[in-house]
Amino acid sequence: MALPKRIVKETERLMAEPVPGISAVPHEDNLRYFDVTVEGPSQSPYEGGIFKLELFLPDDYPMTPPKIRFLTKIYHPNIDKLGRICLDVLKSNWSPALQIRTILLSIQALLGAPNPDDPLANDVAQHWKENQNAAIQTAREWTQQYAKPQ
Amino acid sequence: MSDNGDVAHARSRGGLAAYQDARALVRLLQCSQCSRPLRTPVTLPCGNSVCRECLPQTHLRENISYPNAPDRHYGFQCPFPGCGEEHPLADCSVDVVLYKILESVAMEVSRSREASDNTPTALEEVMQWGDIPEDEKISAAAHARTLNGGRLVATFTFAELGELGYLSEVTYRSLSPTGDAYEELDKAFLERLREGAHKEVDCQVCYALLLDPVTTSCGHTFCRKCLVRVLDHAEHCPMCRRQLLIPASLARQPSNKTLSTLLYRLCPDIIEARAEAVRLDELGPPGGLDTPLFIVTLGFPSMPTFLHVFEPRYRLMIRRAMEGNGTFGIMMYNRLAAPQGDLGVTQFMQYGTLLRIVSVQMLPDGRSLIETRGISRFKVLEHGQRDGYTVGRVERVEDVSLTEEERLEAEETTAPISLDADAATQIDHLSTRQLLFIGIEFILKMQRNSAPWLHQRILDAYGGPPDDPASFPYWFASILPIDEEEKYKLLLTTSVRGRLKITASWIRRIESQRWYALTLNLMV
Ligand SMILES: [Zn+2]
Ligand SMILES: [Zn+2]
Ligand SMILES: [Zn+2]
Ligand SMILES: [Zn+2]
Repeated sequence: MALPKRIVKETERLMAEPVPGISAVPHEDNLRYFDVTVEGPSQSPYEGGIFKLELFLPDDYPMTPPKIRFLTKIYHPNIDKLGRICLDVLKSNWSPALQIRTILLSIQALLGAPNPDDPLANDVAQHWKENQNAAIQTAREWTQQYAKPQ
Repeated sequence: MSDNGDVAHARSRGGLAAYQDARALVRLLQCSQCSRPLRTPVTLPCGNSVCRECLPQTHLRENISYPNAPDRHYGFQCPFPGCGEEHPLADCSVDVVLYKILESVAMEVSRSREASDNTPTALEEVMQWGDIPEDEKISAAAHARTLNGGRLVATFTFAELGELGYLSEVTYRSLSPTGDAYEELDKAFLERLREGAHKEVDCQVCYALLLDPVTTSCGHTFCRKCLVRVLDHAEHCPMCRRQLLIPASLARQPSNKTLSTLLYRLCPDIIEARAEAVRLDELGPPGGLDTPLFIVTLGFPSMPTFLHVFEPRYRLMIRRAMEGNGTFGIMMYNRLAAPQGDLGVTQFMQYGTLLRIVSVQMLPDGRSLIETRGISRFKVLEHGQRDGYTVGRVERVEDVSLTEEERLEAEETTAPISLDADAATQIDHLSTRQLLFIGIEFILKMQRNSAPWLHQRILDAYGGPPDDPASFPYWFASILPIDEEEKYKLLLTTSVRGRLKITASWIRRIESQRWYALTLNLMV
């Protein structure tokens, strides 16, 4: 089925004016499916890491949000073992006026500002609340171990 | 094409040309109340726009208790002829798109004026008296100015100065020493304007040029079709998330008049091409995947099916069906994950029923109750997705010819039978008429027993038992409380006799008590 103009335009703009620290490349055989990488923000425990994500635009996009998850293992209170992300704009606060670009920026911002009060990964959030320094240390180690650029 | 050819072409399509139609172009952006270019424009629920400062005096609205928001208590009488309604102040926000367009035009005008000094044109206002009473004509004197920048820039400036009445016409006289009419200035200016305003007039939902723009009470503008789809999913504005108090009948909400006229006059070709593209899109994908499929339950030919539509994707599907030929397919879930022929294991059962929409009752929250009637059965040959719902290429399932029907009956009823034959074989030997009587008699017996599934309310909806053998099984299946998987078998039949054998077998099973307990349960 023909790709909606909106998706074509979004993809063109992502290619023409990429967001610093973020890349999103559609699969050749499925233009609704993107390989995404996000650089860990500086001053965060994810600094120096490059995180892989997959992003899929469902049939009724942009009426419903993109489906997106981390492929790289990450130690973060709002991201669970399966890579699912707890982010309001990906759920109830989605709006068709948002776009792939804004969503990826929100995810990058979430790496810079973990929110253990709205957790998805309960054990990680607990760790974060009880001993923030130790949790941050673990996040750094995971970044070193799993998100090192090749 | 020659320049003159371009102009003629644009004008023949309803477009306006930069030099020849400079006066009309500027009027598109003038406030009909104060005659200046719209300043902080507000678009009213009737689709007309005025400067915020030009909104009439507000008054307290009387006898209003719903929705009881404080800002809905003040309103004003609409100044536009042809409207005259009372608009609540709350419904009149600054029109964000128009505001940005006006801002970008004003900037471009001032830039062009500075860049082209010493390009004087003499402008003279020509009043159009229209309905103005005789004694008021004297007090209004026509204005005249000499301004730079070509006709468009000069006319806009004339309006900015407050000297060009909304209805007035203008005569132009170039004061160029070389006799230059500055036509090229106008063309270049309009081109820059088109480019500059371009990104402001894209819909933020579909990313294409606004088509039939509708402006919300919060001042945001979307294509009508896009806004309708947004409201299928949410009650909030995509831009500002404010609640949209738009009635379910968005179809009746007027378009943003200033914006639609402006877009049409500036680029009629693009607008028409876009409308055509949308029309084609609404027709659905090529390749025969042209039957929308509602996967929810069983439906039967000639029988009513009542549906409650609340999922956004199905709201869209039903709306498209209503704009199209009024039909869609209904199918049941493949609950047991059984393979469906060539399709493999699909989410739905391969056979379904084409329904025609009889009536739709829209609820204020966007849900709807629809009544349909079954037309024919079909088999899905191929399927795909469209905007979240399933579409399919389908093949009609027909009964065999009447002679074949007769041949079947003769063959089956005359086959030899042993005395201890099982129930199914016995049924095979009954005449088609006898098979129907089994059904009719069973209904009469159940009525005498006051079976709840034969309640008057149900008979009102589905009618009494039809005496047409072809449709009796569909009626029976519509009201009998047994498993859907069992009823589904009717959709695969290709003869009246085949269907009646199925209903007779249900009755035999119920009567032989194997189902009786179950059916009794369902009857309480
Ligand atoms: Zn009005
Ligand atoms: Zn005004
Ligand atoms: Zn749109
Ligand atoms: Zn809004």
